[in-house]
Amino acid sequence: MPPPDERSEKQAAAQQAVDILHEISTILNCHLDRRTLSICISMIENGVNPEALATVVKELRKEGQELQPESSAAAARRSGR
Amino acid sequence: MAYLAELGALIDDLVGTVTVIPATERQKLDACRETALRTLRYNTGNFLRTNQFEVEDQLKGFEERFRVIGRDPLADELCKSLNSLEVHRNKWTPDVLRFILELSDQPAIKSNLTD
Repeated sequence: MPPPDERSEKQAAAQQAVDILHEISTILNCHLDRRTLSICISMIENGVNPEALATVVKELRKEGQELQPESSAAAARRSGR
Repeated sequence: MAYLAELGALIDDLVGTVTVIPATERQKLDACRETALRTLRYNTGNFLRTNQFEVEDQLKGFEERFRVIGRDPLADELCKSLNSLEVHRNKWTPDVLRFILELSDQPAIKSNLTD
């Protein structure tokens, strides 16, 4: 295992890389927050195909939008009780 | 086995952040997780390996397009970010950029630097 100093340096470099990639994703208007982007980077580093992953994100966004009105209606019903 | 467990945990996180379904809605979360897994499994073989030169060309194309329509600050920012990324470049960088390009949504019209 690398010494703690080396580990924290590596961690800082990885954080910086994610920050830069997040900047690029913002410039290209990808609607990705930093947390989602870092999860996706980890998945790609685990061998997930980037185009397949983009398809998954698009589908999840669609499902989230479809389920959102249901969730808000249920929440409104609960708070109205 | 450890690989599948790690990937499963990442998919759970992804479903949570993208769909914003509360953790109490277990059934909906499970359905989304299944959809994500199925899409990954079904699509993984359908795509070719990332061509890093194609990715670079596409990014250069965006930079040029920003300049053509007079959005030079956006082009400058993209150029600056890509240059900064060079220091951190690893074997996954073209794949991550490919992923970002896939999700880009009309940046020439909609992107805003104040975001």
